[in-house]
Amino acid sequence: VIVDSLTYLGSSLFGHATSAHDVIGRLDEAHVDAAVVCPVKPRGYHLAEANDVVATAARNSDGRLVGFARVDPNLREDAVSELERALSELGLAGLFLHPWEESFRISAPLVDPVIEVAHRHGAPVIVASGYPWVSEALQVGELARRFPDVNFIMTNGGQINISGLGQADAELCLSEHANVFIQTAGVYREDFLENIVETLGANRVLFGSAFPLMDPRLEILRIKWAHVSDEQKAQMLGGNALSLLGLS
Amino acid sequence: LAVIVDAHLHVDEVAALGWRMGADLCIERMNEAEIEVGLIMTITDLPQFNPHALELILEACEAFPGRLFAFARLHPWYGDEAVRLLEHALTDHRTYFRGLKLHPVSTIAHPSGEDTHRLIRKAAELGAPTLFHCGDEPFTTPLAIASAAAACPEATIILGHMGGYFHVDEAIDTAERFPNLVLETSAMPYPGKIAEAVHRLGPERVMYGSDGPVCSPRIEVEKVRLAKLGETAEKRVLCENAERIFGEFT
Repeated sequence: VIVDSLTYLGSSLFGHATSAHDVIGRLDEAHVDAAVVCPVKPRGYHLAEANDVVATAARNSDGRLVGFARVDPNLREDAVSELERALSELGLAGLFLHPWEESFRISAPLVDPVIEVAHRHGAPVIVASGYPWVSEALQVGELARRFPDVNFIMTNGGQINISGLGQADAELCLSEHANVFIQTAGVYREDFLENIVETLGANRVLFGSAFPLMDPRLEILRIKWAHVSDEQKAQMLGGNALSLLGLS
Repeated sequence: LAVIVDAHLHVDEVAALGWRMGADLCIERMNEAEIEVGLIMTITDLPQFNPHALELILEACEAFPGRLFAFARLHPWYGDEAVRLLEHALTDHRTYFRGLKLHPVSTIAHPSGEDTHRLIRKAAELGAPTLFHCGDEPFTTPLAIASAAAACPEATIILGHMGGYFHVDEAIDTAERFPNLVLETSAMPYPGKIAEAVHRLGPERVMYGSDGPVCSPRIEVEKVRLAKLGETAEKRVLCENAERIFGEFT
């Protein structure tokens, strides 16, 4: 089973737009069975509407799309109530936070109330990670330290730096917090992923394409062509995502 | 082997970073990707840290004749000594050394500095291009390097990583303004941007590199192929532009 643990659905303020049909088409093209779909930031800035779009797509996907809810912690109690609605009424499976696009520091106390909601629902949290100043790996780690029973999944390997300068922080974060995991989309250097697998275990790494921001046909090769065992590849391609989503 | 030239590979050992990249690993990864020729460089900046870096690179090239060629990676702050080392590499060992590499993240030497321009001009005088690390960090953005392109119009300047993650559009915009800039594709994760760069700049202005051996040369080649450039343009990006800019690999 192959699960793409990160795709985006909806019409984004930042210019890209994908429908459920687009996502499923790309899954078929890359021989992927299912995908996590996260809401984009819509032109109207109303994340609740974006959550509705994702929930509808997931409901009508015959189980191929697993929807996550997106909220803006800056909205305080409104974010808490929207997440409660998304997880309870819409049936979404997890929380997606984007500190860069919503402008908040992931380690800031204002994030805690929404994580408490995720905790109550046993929902995993994907954090758009590696963005300077707001979602660096050690900042995600600080949140993970406060919520050891919540699983946090960092996009981009927790590091977006083409000099490799974010790798040490990401490795430190992963080694200190067993409840932190990484996705593979756009990750700088394949040996970073291979090293995480070797030192911390393949269970810490999830295939994610970040479609439509990145290309699933390329992104899946970071796993398929990695210098690790077939069993480890299977874990990263799908087993870990199923486990974190409670589907295995 | 298919005729592919990888314009960005590393050979070095930096214990402090835990990074070990040997020439044999470069060849292994090149073979996986059916790459015939690779241009290697150190991770450290000569003469800082490793004063024997030229010898290290020479040994690697000599161990794999016809497969490995090189950049001299230098630290501009060393002034006359850096210029002398560059001249030595590009004249006495021209068989192997084909370019100058500058990495302002590790040197903290801004591309607009006169010490940097001296090296770029010396390389150009000797018929060699300059490869810059060009990513998202201060000192390395396309606009920072544009200052060097403007100051040294006679030099061919290659933007390695073509802007990284967030400066790719800026790299293409900047290359439109400065005809002496060439974009190199390594590690930048968007195949569509390679197609856009070829469309806007022409296929002779975009060059394949992997940042291997630890970035997968095989994945990086596939990234270029996913850009669906057409046979003629793809050949230029994967091979012919490197042969034109670095000289024949014999």
